[in-house]
Amino acid sequence: MLTRRDVLKQAGGAALATTAPWWLVRRAHAARREKLIVWWPVALAPQVDKLVKEQTYAYAKQAGLKENELEYVEVGTGQWLPKMVAALEAGNPPDLTRYTQAQAALYRAQGHLIEVTDIVEKMKQVPGGLFDASLNAVMYQGKAYSIPHAIGPSPLVARMDILEAAKVDPPKTWDELIEVSKKLQKPPKLTGFGMCLGLHTDTDGNVMNVIWAYGGKLVEADNKTVALHSPGTVQAVKLIADMYHKHKIIPKGAISWDNQGNNKAYQSRQVIFVVNASSIYAHLAESDKELYEVTGMFPSPAGPGGPSDRIGTGEWMLFRHNPYPEVAKGLVEYYMNPENLRVVVEEGGGRWGPPYRGMYDTPFWQQPGFKHWRVMLEQGREFAFPGRMAAAAGETLATGVLARMMHHVLVDNWEGEKAVEEAHKKVVEIYARYPEG
Amino acid sequence: MALTKTGSQRMVKGIGNGVLALMLLWTAIPFYWMFATSLKHDKEIYGYEATLIPERPTIANYITILQDSPYLLFLRNSTVVAVCSTILSIIIASLGAYAIARLNFPGRALLARLLVCTYLVPGSLLFIPLFALMSALHLLDSLSGLTIVYLGADVPFATWLLMGYFRSVPVELEEAALVDGCNRITALIRVVLPVAMPAIVVVTFFAFTRAWNEFLYAYVFTSTNQAKTITTGLVNFMSADVFYWGPLMASTILSALPPVIMFLLLQRWVVKGLTLGAVKG
Amino acid sequence: MASSATSSIALAPESKTLRARLGKISRFLLRDRQLGYLFLAPALLVILGLVAYPFVGAVFLTFQQKTAGAPGTWIGLANYRELLNNEVFSLTVYNSIFYTVVAVALKFVFGLGMALVLNQERLFNNFYRSFLLIPWAIPTVISALNWRWIYDDASGLINNVLVRFELIDETISWLSDPSLAMFSVIAVVVWQGTPFFTMGFLAGLQSISKELYEAAEIDGASVLQQFRHITLPCLSPIIITVVMLSTILTAAGIQFVLILTNGGPADRTMIFPMLSYAYALGGAQRLGMGATVSLFFFPAFVILIYFLTRRMLQEKGW
Repeated sequence: MLTRRDVLKQAGGAALATTAPWWLVRRAHAARREKLIVWWPVALAPQVDKLVKEQTYAYAKQAGLKENELEYVEVGTGQWLPKMVAALEAGNPPDLTRYTQAQAALYRAQGHLIEVTDIVEKMKQVPGGLFDASLNAVMYQGKAYSIPHAIGPSPLVARMDILEAAKVDPPKTWDELIEVSKKLQKPPKLTGFGMCLGLHTDTDGNVMNVIWAYGGKLVEADNKTVALHSPGTVQAVKLIADMYHKHKIIPKGAISWDNQGNNKAYQSRQVIFVVNASSIYAHLAESDKELYEVTGMFPSPAGPGGPSDRIGTGEWMLFRHNPYPEVAKGLVEYYMNPENLRVVVEEGGGRWGPPYRGMYDTPFWQQPGFKHWRVMLEQGREFAFPGRMAAAAGETLATGVLARMMHHVLVDNWEGEKAVEEAHKKVVEIYARYPEG
Repeated sequence: MALTKTGSQRMVKGIGNGVLALMLLWTAIPFYWMFATSLKHDKEIYGYEATLIPERPTIANYITILQDSPYLLFLRNSTVVAVCSTILSIIIASLGAYAIARLNFPGRALLARLLVCTYLVPGSLLFIPLFALMSALHLLDSLSGLTIVYLGADVPFATWLLMGYFRSVPVELEEAALVDGCNRITALIRVVLPVAMPAIVVVTFFAFTRAWNEFLYAYVFTSTNQAKTITTGLVNFMSADVFYWGPLMASTILSALPPVIMFLLLQRWVVKGLTLGAVKG
Repeated sequence: MASSATSSIALAPESKTLRARLGKISRFLLRDRQLGYLFLAPALLVILGLVAYPFVGAVFLTFQQKTAGAPGTWIGLANYRELLNNEVFSLTVYNSIFYTVVAVALKFVFGLGMALVLNQERLFNNFYRSFLLIPWAIPTVISALNWRWIYDDASGLINNVLVRFELIDETISWLSDPSLAMFSVIAVVVWQGTPFFTMGFLAGLQSISKELYEAAEIDGASVLQQFRHITLPCLSPIIITVVMLSTILTAAGIQFVLILTNGGPADRTMIFPMLSYAYALGGAQRLGMGATVSLFFFPAFVILIYFLTRRMLQEKGW
């Protein structure tokens, strides 16, 4: 007959089987922590990712790190943020990673980053020095907390073949852009200006281009006084609304575009102009040689308020929790060695450029497509200009304040003035939360 | 009724076939679009016209995935995690549901009520504290860690569902089995589970596909290729504002096949189990 | 077999057999308590460790101001107040309810319809069943991306086909038109989620014994009457389960809205998981606010579930 012991034994066996994974695995994972962890957000081209990985392992070998003491992780750009937040919460962020300036500034403000002024000083010694924008991106009260990796403009990307056929010069101002678009577009197949208008950061960027052209700005140089609500901004908003509703030079669907919407529109030959980072140009080099040949990059259209070029930068960040800070610093220096950097940048086809002024004299940068790069990098500004691209501006950009402002005008039919006022209020609220700006 | 019995039966059959045709079309069209895209060159994908039939079909995208990316490794990982989490969740849930449904012990009713609440909690709320927990247990970047995390989503639902089915089994059947020399576990397997077959099928299907397609936890909790699943592999084709549509779609087509094939194979076994339960019930 | 066991327990001709049987029964009962806890232990471990503990952590989070990697500061109900004052709050509530109710209702109707159809006898049924499963087998992210493209104004499949067959003059902005956007998103949700309903209902339908239907036909019941009085009642436990689970998953699902419209145009498709995501991961990474938004909608579900399950539990005799 069945005894109690039999039943208990059977039940105990079942319980054991179901909980076994837990304590077996713990033993296996005991030695995980002592590793150098590098997160690389995947770049445009797989060759670039491969190169960076090779450089990483080459340096590790040089520094005497064993293969299992290095963890090199390729992270999708859309996944970097959730992964980062979770990792910080758990207390084990990567030792080294690269992302946009706003994030670097945020983490600096929250005290997560190591000071790296010595490395930046060494970088300044490279002939030609660093671009002002790159330097401003990483310095805070005289010290550097991140390392400039890349810098890239957001040029006006244009279909040279269409312009040449009509014997028209690339437009230099927004008014010219409107005229040229109206003349040369052939709706519904070909529209003039592929401006991103969805609830994504490309929209905020594009809108800021126009705002600058009309003398507006996000915040004052003191990085605390919000200056969004101004006649310049209102004029810019009205101009964009006119471009969409009156002149009809922006594709109808742009309101729901994401960041790759304008890329796709240009590559499918649906638009004549876009204002976007050079990712389009770089991608065309490998995927559509025909279109690549007839694509030109020019400074973003100017206006009565001046030029409107926008630049974006990428920075390396080293986190405080790093068990090997010297090794990580060495790795960054290795990456930023001009020769190593040159190889990676050229492989990327111009998706972004090096922060060293002197590196633009190489044959690669003499290609006709890059003719205006130096000018754009010198006169270009970050989103928060004249303020800093720090936490508050980062949140403004990430939460799409300007994009929502445009939606109120384009979709809800608000008056430009009202929409700008409301956006201004929101930005004030955001800035109030960050004492440092 | 003007229609004879066979006439109305034919009408029902006809309506059924019509609805089926509509449903097949509705399912097939977007899927076909994915499939067609996976066979196109980049240039055609970016072409202005949405070409319904690829002009120069190519399997280059599939080759890219299988050769240039660790796709097969990801496939293995996804399979392991999906199968293990499904089987484990059924075992754990069966035991727990049986306890609540049959065995008498204090706190039973309260536990049953609490169980219902636990599967209401949205996964996106929990991923950060779970990450911290897994990190502390050194279970990150491992298939076992991911499996355990998926259990947290499957077990509450499975337990609750099975509990309902178990209670509908007549007690006498079990008592008889017990008297005849079965212990509790054998009684559970031979008498109670067959009646709950529909629930088991639902749980298997739900847990497997969920583990297979899950995105957020898979990429936050894994870093190296040894632990990445198919869905995390997909993100490498979406780099900032440039998407590699061809390989992306090819990868999707390949990853959609295993659950479908599994279902195709399981069906015969499932139907047998279902009818067995029906006869008994 | 069953009858002999019960009758022998009840009658017990000899006291020795009766005592033996009573002894066995009491030993069963005694085992029950230990067995109960033992059997329940793994499930409890999973639920407490992987659900309850993080959940309690999340509740505490809603009362704090917290960013990633730093300790939080206690601010009481300030997060909740901020949420209620958020200008898109009421729109989000409305959208969330509309989105969830419509999507689940459509999935239910289509799922039940498909299940009934697939339950009929025909050639290649196995193939049809597997084929109709495909949307559920595709990762949500990719479905969303694919549909995004299908909806595209210029190079989307729908507009291209409609224009080519000259059914419309101007392209339809499926995702940019404020009156269409929500329905476009719901259509994708339904495409993806219906197979789950189909599968669940099909499994339920196949476990209903044929004799019930045959008996009803002999009694002269029409097809509709059979449906109402046999099919629906037998399916009700599965229906309740699937509907409840789908409601939660749909309401808390972010992928579709995130990829298709990101909440636009002008917040017309802003639902609460999007709002939570925007707070937690957009910009400042304010985890306290993110948790607050998610948690805010939780009681509504608990109440809903409580009412639904109370009926079901009552039926089963709690």
